[in-house]
Amino acid sequence: MAFNLTRRKFLQSASLAAVALPLSDAIASETGIEPSPFEPKGTVKDETVVGGVCEMCFWRCQLVGKKRGDRLVKLEGNPHSIDNGSSICARGNAGVQLLYDPDRLKYPLKNVGERGNPKWKRISWEEALDECGSKLKAIEEKYGAHGISVFPHGSSAKYPMHFFERTVGTHNVSEASFFQCRGIRDTAYLATIGMAPGEYVDMPNAKVIFLLGGHFGENIHVSHIKQYIKGLQNGAKLVVVDPRYSASAAKSDIWVQIKPGTDTAFLLAIMNYLISNNKHNAEFIDEYGDGFDEFKEGITDWTLEKAAKECEIPAEQIKEVAELLAANAPNVSIHPGRHVSWYGNDFQRQRALACLTGVLGAFFVKGGWVPAKTPKVGKTSWAKKEHDDEFNLNMDEEEEPLFPYSPPGTPTELIRDTALSGKPYPIKGCVIWGQNPIQTIPGQEKMKDVLRQMDFVMCVDVMPTDITMWADILLPEASYLERYDLIKTGTQWDFADSHQQYIAPRIPLAEPMFERRDQVYITNEIAKRMGYESDIPVQSNKELVEKDLLVAGLTLEQIIKEGGIHIQKGQDPYTVPEDFEVIFYNEDIEDAGFPGIPTYQPVEQPPKGYARLLYGRVPVHTFNRTQNNVWLNKSMPENPVWINDAVATALGLKDGDMVGFINQDGVKSRTKTTVKTTPGIRKDSVYMAHGYGSANPLMSVGVNAGVDDTSLISKITVDPETGAHGMRNNFIQLIKDDKILAIPASV
Amino acid sequence: MQYGMIIDLERCVGCHACTIACKAEWEVPVEYNRNWVYRMGPSLVGEEMASTYYPGLCNHCSDPVCVPECPADTIEMTFTHAKTGETTTLEVAATWKDPFDGTVQIDKSRCIGCGACADACPYNARYINPDQTDDVSDDGKADKCTYCKPRVEAGETPACVQTCITGARIFGDLDDPESEVSKYVKKGAVGIEVNGGNLGPNSRYYGKKKDMDLLMATHTPELADMGQVRRRAMLASLMKPAVKKVKGLGLLGLVGALAVKGFCNEDSEK
Repeated sequence: MAFNLTRRKFLQSASLAAVALPLSDAIASETGIEPSPFEPKGTVKDETVVGGVCEMCFWRCQLVGKKRGDRLVKLEGNPHSIDNGSSICARGNAGVQLLYDPDRLKYPLKNVGERGNPKWKRISWEEALDECGSKLKAIEEKYGAHGISVFPHGSSAKYPMHFFERTVGTHNVSEASFFQCRGIRDTAYLATIGMAPGEYVDMPNAKVIFLLGGHFGENIHVSHIKQYIKGLQNGAKLVVVDPRYSASAAKSDIWVQIKPGTDTAFLLAIMNYLISNNKHNAEFIDEYGDGFDEFKEGITDWTLEKAAKECEIPAEQIKEVAELLAANAPNVSIHPGRHVSWYGNDFQRQRALACLTGVLGAFFVKGGWVPAKTPKVGKTSWAKKEHDDEFNLNMDEEEEPLFPYSPPGTPTELIRDTALSGKPYPIKGCVIWGQNPIQTIPGQEKMKDVLRQMDFVMCVDVMPTDITMWADILLPEASYLERYDLIKTGTQWDFADSHQQYIAPRIPLAEPMFERRDQVYITNEIAKRMGYESDIPVQSNKELVEKDLLVAGLTLEQIIKEGGIHIQKGQDPYTVPEDFEVIFYNEDIEDAGFPGIPTYQPVEQPPKGYARLLYGRVPVHTFNRTQNNVWLNKSMPENPVWINDAVATALGLKDGDMVGFINQDGVKSRTKTTVKTTPGIRKDSVYMAHGYGSANPLMSVGVNAGVDDTSLISKITVDPETGAHGMRNNFIQLIKDDKILAIPASV
Repeated sequence: MQYGMIIDLERCVGCHACTIACKAEWEVPVEYNRNWVYRMGPSLVGEEMASTYYPGLCNHCSDPVCVPECPADTIEMTFTHAKTGETTTLEVAATWKDPFDGTVQIDKSRCIGCGACADACPYNARYINPDQTDDVSDDGKADKCTYCKPRVEAGETPACVQTCITGARIFGDLDDPESEVSKYVKKGAVGIEVNGGNLGPNSRYYGKKKDMDLLMATHTPELADMGQVRRRAMLASLMKPAVKKVKGLGLLGLVGALAVKGFCNEDSEK
């Protein structure tokens, strides 16, 4: 492992540096004698700097830094935090390794090779910004604002996204957090309860926690995990629905080993059983329900037996879950999920989850779905200019949306298909900010073709992720530890505790090194060069934060005095808003041409010899973003493929065997990974963690580590109501020693 | 007094925060760990499916097998009780069990880096840190979990306990019947005892029966072959003469004190 030597030098510890000192210096010193020069001193006596807000993932725990001289040596949870407290997860703890990662982008780079096979030349910021500004302006003038597409992700991407969307005026924005993650959840709940649900389940005070695919432990968001474990410690029963014996299944009271893609059938059967046995919350439904009778009528087909057959689980188990929920209603946490872009039938499933919560009356009650009452801060950004829908790809000729329940932005496939066909108009500019579309969006080759036909591609990132290989200009961004940025707000994590709110702006814990710059600088400089100087809303990240804090009557100075977090009195969240309703049957959805009652739509089954590819998370990585972090890489250096042990035996595979993959379209994995045999996964599916197998050689730690699951998701499924992706409809075979192993239909 | 740590597997979600916090706190080289988290399963335990974690660390055993194997020259060391101020003097090699707090510690200055202690430990809780070299040993120094003794003495919790996101790690005095850790022992928390041995591991685990069964079935270690350990230790001590061990000790101490200053200077020149 060649990188270790150079890394060790780079990450030299204090004691190592000492050994390199001339002895004479030491003798001349009048400082005291330490008994052991080799023993690291720990961080207790290091300077504490406050105000950090983590972004190793997007939960955004509040941090303090431990500083030795100019160097940040450790990150810890901010002890003032009422959210994560002094805890942070593995990724949060590993933030210093991102900060000082020698592979991080350092200078503006120009690609003097070709897209996808770059040769980088260091250029000045002036040159880089001139190039970005003039190329984007040329595209805007030639093709219109809609000729520019934007692929943003993360808090630093909001400001540039708003510039291109609101000021320049393109609709062609595809946020990964919506179209490849949680957008379907948000719009399905909006269409049911009028609110995006977040992950607002009052798990600490629940009697039952119900997870559909949620795999806490493999998926970590600190205060959410605190809620979950507190709930279990308080005696909540845990129901986990998952084809795989996930980390949560391992803590469950009932594990429903469901057939992939059939979740809606399962949910409908539970609701039908509850309603037909009079175990629903009639009082709640009377008061807040809308279209319940149509709904009730519409799901009567879904008997336990019918669902049992469809889901390949015992009818008795569906009944057991239904009874458990009924017996403990309304104090049950029906988790809305987070990443829900699964099978292309996801809007209906998410609607069904919201309806199940309503059937149980589990809104705004102890243990139910209860949104926290968070404090208000400003949202300073680019002003919205008037842009009509003429070039909105999601609007048809009659100005009706193609995907009426699309999350904000434009569905990714509409942007990509338009870029490739040039119809109805060309898309020739691409701004990628913090997102890695190569390893986020299904159809890698399609994405590459989209990028190839662009006149100009720019990327802004902290790491040389795979997408950066496709940039013409690549700009190094200040990380979350080096910039003022978003203000995290929230409440205490357990509603049983006294109600408090917090406001925590991101304050830098370290100075940016090399030539890294933050998003306000980069965006403003491009804006100036595109002729939008007079629209610039703020001059710096710091000013942005100050302005937003002012709305809450706060200043950065005061927040720092208060230890990085302002805490104020909160409000009881357990009151149902006056206009609250649960729309069981939604006429608008039906008018738009989709089922107005949550409806199960079967998904394609694996062809003979193939298994369905399922993916999920590991606790030490946030998708691909953290793959190059040495500490995290060493914790889980690859993503073993889970195979049912009986299937593995039939194929002659054992734990630790190296395998590659080929999918239904003949796409082969570039790399291999190890086999993990287990009885804890269905025979028709295999599973691997998402985000591994980077292709960029500049990621010297993450490159070729494990297998890139996204590369095997070449068949594209789009959820018809939302336009968001479904990513679990691809099927694979294993390759061992160059031999393709067909998955047996039955063993 | 006997410090101990409880790992509550009902709370543990296997997130690895403990291992990374430890790396940051104690500058553990990328390749090594003072603590670890292994995932077991999913596999069948009897008729039941189970999957759990082995978050391991030094057990600060009541009767440690590593301590007697240290071939370094012994010195007289005076220990002080943190609370009562009572002192006692013992003859110790470069690793010892503290008579007052029960932790097992290492004197890096006198460690000859032979690895005997690491070989002897059935839990693989020790490693030789190659970053820590001096005139006494260019192979590095033995390193392991100290139960964060410097942090604990400063009134803090161990780094892994502080960061643990679910409160699954509980640290305290096992000899104090009122302590949180003692309550867990009463509830059934047990150490992973070596097969056929009686080391008295003081890092203890608590969890559902099927999870504990899985943990014990997969991670109960055997005692090391002590004959081999001793031959290696003897050879190493012969090759590293005592006189060399003493040389430069004080000077290196001075260098250590300058560490932070020198380090900062180097950084600011960038």
